[in-house]
Amino acid sequence: MRVVINFILAILGITWLFPVMFTIFGSFKGKMEYNLGNFWDFPKHNLFSENMLTAFKMVDLSNSMLSSFIYAFSGAALSLIIATSAAYAISHLNIKFKMFWFMIIYSGTIFPFQIYLIPVYKEYTQLHLYDTRLGMILFYTSICVPFIMFVLRNFFIGISKEISESARIDGCSKMQVLTRIFIPMAKAPLAIVFLSQFTWCWNDLMFGLTLTKTPGIRSVMAAISLLGKSNIPLLLTGCIVVSIPTIILFLLLQKNFESGFVYTSK
Amino acid sequence: MIIKPKARINTSSWTDYLYIAPAVLLVTTFFISSIIYTGFLSFHNWDGFSSMTFAGFSNYILLFKDPNFRISAMNTIIWVVCSLVVSLVFPLILAIFISKSSWLTGFKNIFYFPTALSATVGGMIIVSMISKYGIPQLFAMLGFKNMMQDWLAVPYVNTFIMIFMGAWQSVGLNMLLFLSGLKNIPSSPIEAATIEGAGTYSMYRKVIFPLLKPTTTVVLLMSLVNSFKVFDSIWVMTKGGPYRSSETLALTMYQESFINNKFGLGAAVAVVLTVVIIIVSYFNLKSTFGDNYYSV
Repeated sequence: MRVVINFILAILGITWLFPVMFTIFGSFKGKMEYNLGNFWDFPKHNLFSENMLTAFKMVDLSNSMLSSFIYAFSGAALSLIIATSAAYAISHLNIKFKMFWFMIIYSGTIFPFQIYLIPVYKEYTQLHLYDTRLGMILFYTSICVPFIMFVLRNFFIGISKEISESARIDGCSKMQVLTRIFIPMAKAPLAIVFLSQFTWCWNDLMFGLTLTKTPGIRSVMAAISLLGKSNIPLLLTGCIVVSIPTIILFLLLQKNFESGFVYTSK
Repeated sequence: MIIKPKARINTSSWTDYLYIAPAVLLVTTFFISSIIYTGFLSFHNWDGFSSMTFAGFSNYILLFKDPNFRISAMNTIIWVVCSLVVSLVFPLILAIFISKSSWLTGFKNIFYFPTALSATVGGMIIVSMISKYGIPQLFAMLGFKNMMQDWLAVPYVNTFIMIFMGAWQSVGLNMLLFLSGLKNIPSSPIEAATIEGAGTYSMYRKVIFPLLKPTTTVVLLMSLVNSFKVFDSIWVMTKGGPYRSSETLALTMYQESFINNKFGLGAAVAVVLTVVIIIVSYFNLKSTFGDNYYSV
């Protein structure tokens, strides 16, 4: 029985990875070679670096990659600070109307992102934040806050109040309880949410496309979406280049993914 | 007797509110105001440059009469229903197979790998693969000459192709969730059932699937809401074409606002989409917070 299962999975696995192999092989081909040649041909020469250079020139990919990295990193990092403080307050401090504040922040995840598109676009054009790095950072930070707060609050609720109370009796300030006790305890969920939000921001297309127009300020996904369908190997090379950061993250965190899901569910 | 200074520890001061202030500020400025503004905008006409004119319900009336909207709504329903089937059944079967295979980590990573790519990249890879010189060329070589065209240019066929492409990327995540759900099933019910002589089929039907219910609920509701919101992959594969035949509500909103410059109409689409998602998410929220309400 096990042999049958392994066999089926192997066939499925090959089908699954086929597009990836196709992409890698295709990126080594040149435009003419791809169009005139056979689907199954192996590439004749190594045109990968040439394709890469063309892609970089055409849509200013190097600046886009830098921009995307800035947006994803600062978006995730800033929102981590903001959301963790909020999660701490809602779970362990004595605030009135906790549920209300929680729902306000959490409502960011309920509504489809499309509903934010037009108003933010209009606000940004009026405030001259359209097509600016600052505008994008602000936006991505805000988008990440609700989810991070949700996960961290779930985690903090699981920490018994006696821990914070005895620390306070010993003379800790509320801030110290957060920074010296809770945050070290939360290393695992913090790492997971940082990486999941970084990936989300890096992979975003809709907002990157709408809120920017200069090639260097644009996010990386928006940039490659404008490469056009005429030169397929160029497209495939672009896909590989922009996927590298998220693939590296994926490889580094394979073991932590599963335990991470525990934090995102009830 | 020592009197613990509880009063000092548990008082709240105004500084406590500083902890949540930035979060609340950001969310209110960006999101809450946006929701209200979009609703407001849906009752007006605005082209992006000139001033707004009040339009009452005319945008909504226009919408329900517009054939593009009806096609878009139907496409959205197709997407949601198919995504449900694909993202529940297939990942579950995969997870069961993988948990019994000889190479768990390997297969797990293979099937999850496409999920690590962005929807944009995934869409573009599929576009390339089935454009004229890709897989269709394969069929042409096998003798089916009329298959050698751009499959994504065929209305309705392209929607199903895009759904399968979406599956290529989304199955991985759900498969992982089912895998960890399967791993967490306690062994005692299974042992008891085996002792009582349960065959494989009834084992699955009466023991394993019911025990998987929490995981299944999470996967189901997550996939349901996400399938309404799909944008990146469709935009990259067909841009909603040809002739707007493969649009879903999410794309129609973008198309009307930023391409046709009818922001009021686009806002109305956004409102309709949101209302539908809220109704669906209500059940999600109820199950997440039903038992937790008193523990905030």
